[in-house]
Amino acid sequence: MATLFTLQTEWTAQELKARLDREESFFILDVRNREEVQAWRIEGRRPIPTHNVPYFEILEQGGADDVVESVKAYAQRELAQVLPKDRPILVVCAKGGTSALVAEGLRALGYQAVNLVGGTLAWGNFYEVKTVVEDAALSIYQISRPARGCLSYVIASGGEAAIVDPLRHTEHYLRLAKEKNLNIRLILDTHAHADHISGGAGLSKQLGVPYFMHPYDGIHPLDLLPPRVSYQPLWDGQRFGVGTATIETIHIPGHTLGNVVYLVNGRFLLSGDSIFIESIARPDLGGRGEAWAPIHYHSLRKLLSLPDETVILPGHFSSLGEANAEGIFAKSLGELKRQNEGLQMAQRTEEEEFVRYILSSLPLFPPQYVDIKRVNAGLLIPDEEKASELELGKNICALAQAYK
Amino acid sequence: MNYDKILDVRGLSCPMPIVKARQEVNTLQPGQVLKVLSTDRGSVKDFQGWAQAAKNVELLAQETEQLDGREVYVHYVKRVS
Repeated sequence: MATLFTLQTEWTAQELKARLDREESFFILDVRNREEVQAWRIEGRRPIPTHNVPYFEILEQGGADDVVESVKAYAQRELAQVLPKDRPILVVCAKGGTSALVAEGLRALGYQAVNLVGGTLAWGNFYEVKTVVEDAALSIYQISRPARGCLSYVIASGGEAAIVDPLRHTEHYLRLAKEKNLNIRLILDTHAHADHISGGAGLSKQLGVPYFMHPYDGIHPLDLLPPRVSYQPLWDGQRFGVGTATIETIHIPGHTLGNVVYLVNGRFLLSGDSIFIESIARPDLGGRGEAWAPIHYHSLRKLLSLPDETVILPGHFSSLGEANAEGIFAKSLGELKRQNEGLQMAQRTEEEEFVRYILSSLPLFPPQYVDIKRVNAGLLIPDEEKASELELGKNICALAQAYK
Repeated sequence: MNYDKILDVRGLSCPMPIVKARQEVNTLQPGQVLKVLSTDRGSVKDFQGWAQAAKNVELLAQETEQLDGREVYVHYVKRVS
């Protein structure tokens, strides 16, 4: 007898993101090893019920030589009380090979099990483009890497474009520019990033357009070595024209010494690593938290003096729940003043109290951040596997409260 | 490091290095050692986890070698019972 529908056996990273945005109900069975899951797991707008059992334990305890048979034996014995039958179970591993076999075994037992195609590697490398505004005078596109919480931007006007904080997989920007018929004129970084590898220098070279960064960030803060990437120095107050749009640079040292934000048409603030939706940036990733925290305080106060209507477009998020209903990460400065604890501390307290607050709110310092900065300064050149490994997991650029 | 048998799973990705190593270990006598060659970087942590989960296996050593221009992860696994 012909069936009316085909049972779905896999989700792509894109399908997973759409389901997370719609807050669909599903369960995750993560078969990576425990350390990997502890370091980084798939998160939605709200927590997703997840069970972790490493695949080698399934194999060992299932006992069969055949993987699918081991899964069946193990699941019948150990997972009957754990796995739901009334909703999809997304099976996840590092690259999607093992999880496909586990999902197959579970389907044989009647579970609605689907495989995440390409595993957490594909999820980590998934990008999405959202339109913040789009008209003839000004378009702003927010390009996110949802699994890592990284946000970047394309600012377009009159067929010209600037890219701000491009991430490593630069094909996404080139594709967008082609689709929208945009001529990319310049690349801007808000700072030397520690959590991800910048696509700035590479894009600049490929397209033959200038790459701007504040010179204070050209030097690696721990190695104290000059960079081996070429960039144009950027200064406070510098303006760029893109079509009829104007981008104004504001130097706000604190997260890094050369940290800047870009104010577009006086209204949209590409805030990089300063003001986030839920939190504010940490001042210690250059290894000088105590010295930089007071500078950070005065920089945040400077941004607080912008009009409340200013739309904040941050460089990171900590949870998908920070997005609006359309999946865009943006909020007015006025709203953030009412809900963002770190920003409120900068607004309400004196320097000394703010410094105490911020230094007591620092999450762990991911050790790979030192090497990522080396890569961004051109001091270290990773292969694809190493680059992927350095970037594994979610960014930790905000204060600890963002990761509750 | 001495070994009794070699298993070459270069080019195979997860879960095959562990699947094949399990099968091979079961052909050894207790006390014998299997040397596994893998190009899967993830196999380093996975062999550690597997050795803990498996009752009859001990992971004696792990090392990285350059072989034919590729990084190869070598695992020495002993059947203990």
